[in-house]
Amino acid sequence: MKLNWFSPLPPAKSGIADYSFGILPELSRRAEVTLWTDRAGWDPQLEQYATVRRYQPERIDWVELNRAELSFYNIGNNHLHHAAIWQVSRQSPGIVILHDARLHDFFESLYRGQWRDQAGYLAQIEKHYGEEGLRIATEFVTARHGDYDFMAQRFSLTGAVLENSLGALVHTKNAFDELRVSNRHPVFYAPLPSAPILKSANTDGLPRPPYQLIIFGHIGRNRRLDAVLEALAQLSERNLFRLDIYGEIDDPKMLRQRIHTLNLKDTVTVHGYTPLAELDEALSTSHLAINLRYPTMGEASASQLRIWEHALPSLVTRVGWYASLSPDAVVHVHPDNEVADIRSHLETFLQDPARFARMGQHGRRLVETEHHPKTYVDTIISLVENAREFKLRQAAFYLAERSGTVMGSWTRLMTTDFDSPNRLARKIHSLTAQTASDTQAR
Amino acid sequence: MRVLITTVQVPFIRGGAEVHAEGLRDALRRFGHEAEILAIPFKWYPPEKILDHMLACQLLDITEVAGTPVDRVIGLKFPAYLIPHPNKVLWILHQHRTAYELWDHPLSDLVYFPNGSHVRDVIQQADRKLIPQARAVFANSQNVARRLKKFCDIDSTPLYHPPPDAEHFYCGPAEDYLFFPSRLCIPKRQALVLEALAHTRNPVRICFAGTSDQPAYADELKALARKLKVQQRADWLGPISGEEMRRRYAHAIAVIYPPTDEDYGYVTLEGMLASKPVITCTDSGGPLEFVADHETGVIAEPTPEALAAAFDSVWENRKQAKSWGEAGRDRYQSLNLSWKTVINKLLA
Repeated sequence: MKLNWFSPLPPAKSGIADYSFGILPELSRRAEVTLWTDRAGWDPQLEQYATVRRYQPERIDWVELNRAELSFYNIGNNHLHHAAIWQVSRQSPGIVILHDARLHDFFESLYRGQWRDQAGYLAQIEKHYGEEGLRIATEFVTARHGDYDFMAQRFSLTGAVLENSLGALVHTKNAFDELRVSNRHPVFYAPLPSAPILKSANTDGLPRPPYQLIIFGHIGRNRRLDAVLEALAQLSERNLFRLDIYGEIDDPKMLRQRIHTLNLKDTVTVHGYTPLAELDEALSTSHLAINLRYPTMGEASASQLRIWEHALPSLVTRVGWYASLSPDAVVHVHPDNEVADIRSHLETFLQDPARFARMGQHGRRLVETEHHPKTYVDTIISLVENAREFKLRQAAFYLAERSGTVMGSWTRLMTTDFDSPNRLARKIHSLTAQTASDTQAR
Repeated sequence: MRVLITTVQVPFIRGGAEVHAEGLRDALRRFGHEAEILAIPFKWYPPEKILDHMLACQLLDITEVAGTPVDRVIGLKFPAYLIPHPNKVLWILHQHRTAYELWDHPLSDLVYFPNGSHVRDVIQQADRKLIPQARAVFANSQNVARRLKKFCDIDSTPLYHPPPDAEHFYCGPAEDYLFFPSRLCIPKRQALVLEALAHTRNPVRICFAGTSDQPAYADELKALARKLKVQQRADWLGPISGEEMRRRYAHAIAVIYPPTDEDYGYVTLEGMLASKPVITCTDSGGPLEFVADHETGVIAEPTPEALAAAFDSVWENRKQAKSWGEAGRDRYQSLNLSWKTVINKLLA
């Protein structure tokens, strides 16, 4: 069994690169894997498990690609990591693994930012959302400060990513429910797999102050750092906490100003991007993680799994995938009442740290049972085993669409009992449906 | 019986498949049947066009014509053999080869397309499902039957037929040339033969007969001959009449036919009919069903050196070449190839 895996790869600063690296040992045990990257360099450890091939989207070795039963395309919102992957996926259909259920940001930054192609962006919106979509998007691009959050929620553009795919694999039940409604592509759900951590949690008894809070990952506006700092500043016992911030920060200057203004210099330390080993070290000595997201792009969070691997309690926003997390394992923050909620939860933590520690333990059990890489790889392998079925299904849709386009010009005037569409459907079925023996053979 | 022969036609290209269909039609008429060839135009690129053609064939209705039933359909080539009919038999010349044995092969085109594997899987699925729906499945040769079994697990009966104008072939005194009649195209391997010519010890001369599917390819071959400095020993006859072709067969020392995995190959049988040894290769497919190495010809490795040795051997030992040619003629006679047998089986 052979499969192609398109993904950002370590050392790219991408959670999806870490996710791929995390499942690779198990995946390569079950299948021959070719990793495809558009970057010049990659972590040589990858080659213990797979062949690594470099490609350019406009110049790729299709022969090698065609030797595998199925290709997997990992797509997320960061166009720098995923543009080339998307370009290949449009040409050679495969399974798209959606790491974000709302991909407006990807298309907006790719078309308007990278390619300077506003018309292309608008054409995508029009294609998937019609004239009304085009009108709203035109207002958005002409406005001085367009509302990106509104656009992402209104126009997910997942259809643009999936239009030539064989199917979608998603990590959240919400995304699964949203996508399967259209019935155009097979949609599969598998909980995001956890990645192995490099340093175990410190479990020597109950935590003692000062309590270590931690925020990590790519720190953009949606991580609600403002609200966290505000809540900390309002807390009378804030000297009992230390907050460490790890990861790339969109606007470090503003963050520093904010820390200064709120007089939090002794409480907050900004570390910037940190290698995974150091991050694990920091997590292992932390007592509470703050993993807020608002707005959410519908993603499941690898960071959350990492938090649970360290048996850490966490504050998350009551939105999207995070809203579905068990209150036994996380504490929810309402997006409309962020500062007050965060402050209240921190006060509760001070009163009963043991209760929070139990949440962390519960989270760890969740990771071990529901997010195990082996379970995830089982899903990947079963998709490869069914690759032929997906290809036949896609051929059926191609023929139906092609026939519909050709017939559309003359069938409009036909009466409703005109049998051609039914006959056509039967013929397409006879060409592309598997026989019972095929199914049994699998 | 009213019989329709379904095949495909690539406009402006003519080869063994066209001759085969016409031979079948003519034979059916000779034996008193009404017969027509129904040729579907076929374009195989980009790959999704193949799907279009498959669906088009499935949608055709040839069960009757102007109220009169069509009694039998004989399907020859993909995707025309997918045209449905309740009394269809298949006599498969070959499947869509780049979806099967030529998939990951230098001659492939499908594998170079981004959606190549997807279209391949649909072709295979349709073949597996729809070929067995025919009331009988025959193959053009054992080679084609073997592929059907190997790739689709479909049993078929090899059914040989005589080449066109079989009764008009004859043998004459050998003159100083080897004869290689075929379309000029990569699968027939004229380039390999030119490279072999450059390795011969003797002043071997080869007459190539046939036209090219793509005019540029004929020029490429001539340029290769110049590069190898064998242009004086390679004659390019172009298209020749049937009579001229038989004359060339009759006076050759031997016939060269080293294609890549040929389905059947008239050239082998025509060489045998003209009592000439046939030089072929170990990977040539169909010809290997008829040529016995060092009995009715030579089966060489597909390398310039091995083929050159075969050319030298017949050039130097013409008596032996003559004897192998006569044994080939005897072998042909022993096969009892006849259109009567073919038609009896196809219309049973």
